[in-house]
Amino acid sequence: MGEVEKTFISGLKEELVEEKVIDESQLDPNFAKEIKKYGGKDVMTCLQCGNCTGVCPISLKIDYKTRSIIKYCQFGLRTYTLGTRWVCATCYRCYEHCPADINPAEVMIALRHIAVREGVIPPFIKVAATNLVRYGQSVKPDDEINKIRKELGLEDIHVFDPGYKKVLREIRVLVHASKYDKLIGIEDEVKV
Amino acid sequence: MGSPEPLKKDPVTSTPPATGTETITPRIGVFVCHCGSNIAGVVDCPKVTESASKMPGVVVARDNKYTCSDLGQEEIVKAIVEAKVDRVVIASCSPRMHEPTFRACIQRAGLNPYVLHMVNIREQCSWVHNQEKERATEKAIDLVRMGVSKAARLMPLEAREVPVEPKALVVGGGVAGIQAALDLGNMGFKVYLVESKPSIGGVMAQLDKTFPTGDCAICILAPKMVELARHPNVTLLSYSEVEEVKGYIGNYEVKVRRKARYVHEDKCVGCGVCAEVCPVKVDNEFDMGFGKRKAIYVPFPQAVPLKYTIDRENCLHFKTGKCLLCVKECTNKAIDHKMEDEVLDLKVGTIIVATGFQTYVPMKKGVYKYWEYENVITALELERLLNASGPTGGHLIRPSDQKTPRRVAFIQCVGSRNKKIDRNYCSRVCCMYAIKNAQIIKEHEPDTEITVYYNDIRAFGKGFEELYHRVREEFGVEFFRGRPAKLSENRETKSIMIRAEETLLNKITEREFDLIVLSVGLLPSEGSKRIGKTLGLSLSSDGFFAEAHPKLRPVDTATDGVFLAGCAQSPKDIPDSVAQAKAAASSAAAIMFSGKVKIEPLTVEVDESLCVGCGLCVELCPYGAPELIQNAEGRTRARIVEALCHGCGTCAASCPQNAITAKQFTDEQICSELTAALSQNGHGKNGNKKAEEGV
Repeated sequence: MGEVEKTFISGLKEELVEEKVIDESQLDPNFAKEIKKYGGKDVMTCLQCGNCTGVCPISLKIDYKTRSIIKYCQFGLRTYTLGTRWVCATCYRCYEHCPADINPAEVMIALRHIAVREGVIPPFIKVAATNLVRYGQSVKPDDEINKIRKELGLEDIHVFDPGYKKVLREIRVLVHASKYDKLIGIEDEVKV
Repeated sequence: MGSPEPLKKDPVTSTPPATGTETITPRIGVFVCHCGSNIAGVVDCPKVTESASKMPGVVVARDNKYTCSDLGQEEIVKAIVEAKVDRVVIASCSPRMHEPTFRACIQRAGLNPYVLHMVNIREQCSWVHNQEKERATEKAIDLVRMGVSKAARLMPLEAREVPVEPKALVVGGGVAGIQAALDLGNMGFKVYLVESKPSIGGVMAQLDKTFPTGDCAICILAPKMVELARHPNVTLLSYSEVEEVKGYIGNYEVKVRRKARYVHEDKCVGCGVCAEVCPVKVDNEFDMGFGKRKAIYVPFPQAVPLKYTIDRENCLHFKTGKCLLCVKECTNKAIDHKMEDEVLDLKVGTIIVATGFQTYVPMKKGVYKYWEYENVITALELERLLNASGPTGGHLIRPSDQKTPRRVAFIQCVGSRNKKIDRNYCSRVCCMYAIKNAQIIKEHEPDTEITVYYNDIRAFGKGFEELYHRVREEFGVEFFRGRPAKLSENRETKSIMIRAEETLLNKITEREFDLIVLSVGLLPSEGSKRIGKTLGLSLSSDGFFAEAHPKLRPVDTATDGVFLAGCAQSPKDIPDSVAQAKAAASSAAAIMFSGKVKIEPLTVEVDESLCVGCGLCVELCPYGAPELIQNAEGRTRARIVEALCHGCGTCAASCPQNAITAKQFTDEQICSELTAALSQNGHGKNGNKKAEEGV
């Protein structure tokens, strides 16, 4: 099992802890508005038809239901959306099929915005962000990847391509200027 | 539109002669309505009344809790008589609802009904400014001041009457059109029913059984169709199209094109010998392509009129110039390949539009693979397969191998409730017809497994919930809450796997079915667009014809004398269509019984000495009211056909010569309102001056 996969599964653990009865203290009536603020469409118009779950490639593999996340958003059940929001691959297939014209993928992105601002950052995001500022790409090309590439008849991939240096500096400047490093907690990595 | 008879000035008026309107200084009465708390909750009505009483020309100002109530109206009548009021300003709601009420009210007090001006301080003030009470009161006072200023310049007008032709035109021969025509015919009016297809009956004739009672559709419809054809007052014009409609309420001139059916209706007896010998076989549209018909055909055995029609596109004679087998066999010599379209001119007083619907056609590259997989059919196709007089004699088969399907799935909301394809509305019948068809399949083949993929079940009508309950309890039909995401076909068995989330279980399921039925939604019929354009009907956001008022005038349209019935207005089931048809028929009859209609005098006038006959008004008018005529001196001038004019003022605003004046909206009246609006409250003398200069 690769490192990235491990971090994915560990991010899901929170989801398994469920309350038996949901009382009002868990509901946030302004949650739908907040999602709208971060670029999601109005989740209140969702018909709960389940078309999005049916077409979702992730839903087929793990216990992740696009429709139920939207339902949590309608309800304002913040905590229930914590882990799963990170598994969406934003392939936008749900958006293609949605009869209510909501864009569930962008709702997931909005949920991530909200989570990060609340300080809920899963480890793999930090890993990816660190990779980005270190190597200029979010997935670190390690031996494992090069092994697969060799099987496929492809060349090894090199991290420190000389041309990358300039680009890398630019990425760091951008990450710093947008305060992304502070938000994610990788200030140490970015030395401009 | 063309030139209906100009109205004679004499046919007069039930309005009593206006009294007291000759006085030079107007005596204005102002009545401010609280509308319960609708207005008074925001606007300080007593303050508005007090300010109004000080306005120039106002002799009496009152406020009232409900001005439109009997009590409120009596107070107005009393005040008018006591204070010798000759102009009335009522500050209340929009004139849309209550202008006729108050016109009748001041008429009772002996005034001309048109010396009334309504100031809207509800929709245009209290409802929109409910957060700013003080400023709303200020605005209400300003609005009343404008109204008072205009009222001082109101002139009495006389309503005129025009005779009504006691004949009706019904467009569309579905169940709604048939019912409307029968009702009007029974009331003694002459009715023309125009149907574009060779037979009347509409979509109802194609159905197997009807929900929730399970009556056979054609068995209950056919007697009505026959009754209609035999009715002495009804002229059935099948295989015909409405080409053109001119005129106005009570006096419509209609051109109907009778398409050539190449068979003389008066000679054909419907024996069918011609169809027997016809060598051309094509898909029958009536059977949704499952059955075959000949090039000379009646669409179904119970067709009315039972007259054969030649389909020009497929007839061998029209293709090759030969054949003529049918002509040889026809003993009555009814067939005539040289027949041509014929245009009839009709004169009618009222029109009922019952153009019905068509079903949604699934997308070519859609998720439900209607065009790719043989065993995906629409509900209307299923109706034909289940129908005892259908292509399979009522035996349900699946198209790929003609075998009886063991597992059937219904998919709901296809082409309805979908923002992506711009069909936001619910088609209102699909839930029930799917449930009904599930029951019929279960009755035919009790071993069939049936699953209905639904999103919400809408079983709201009389007996609907009971049927929904019965198919679950008695027949064990399974209801699956979720919209199918993916359909894939097994290449060998031609069975189809549906992947969908069971949203109540929170689980993704994959199940295989032999036959998939798409519960397709309802769309306005193809021909309705042209009819709507011809009659100037407006459409609702869903594309169906808009009624004049969604609650209180559900069968009327914005065009006087034109009524709606059935699915032309919105998707509805058979009982609702019939009910609306009866309502439309009685609304049309009310006009025709009285024999005359009042024409609103709020029209426009042309000053012939200013008009140069440029014709701009003719081009701009949405109602076709102005026309160009030669006057006595042989010059071209515009003239307004008053019965067509709606008083919208488009022509008056655009006339480059200022030759057109809209009554009750003259330049003087409008400028006086503006002057009043700008005269006080910090807008200052400047505003006043500017407005006056503008005049």
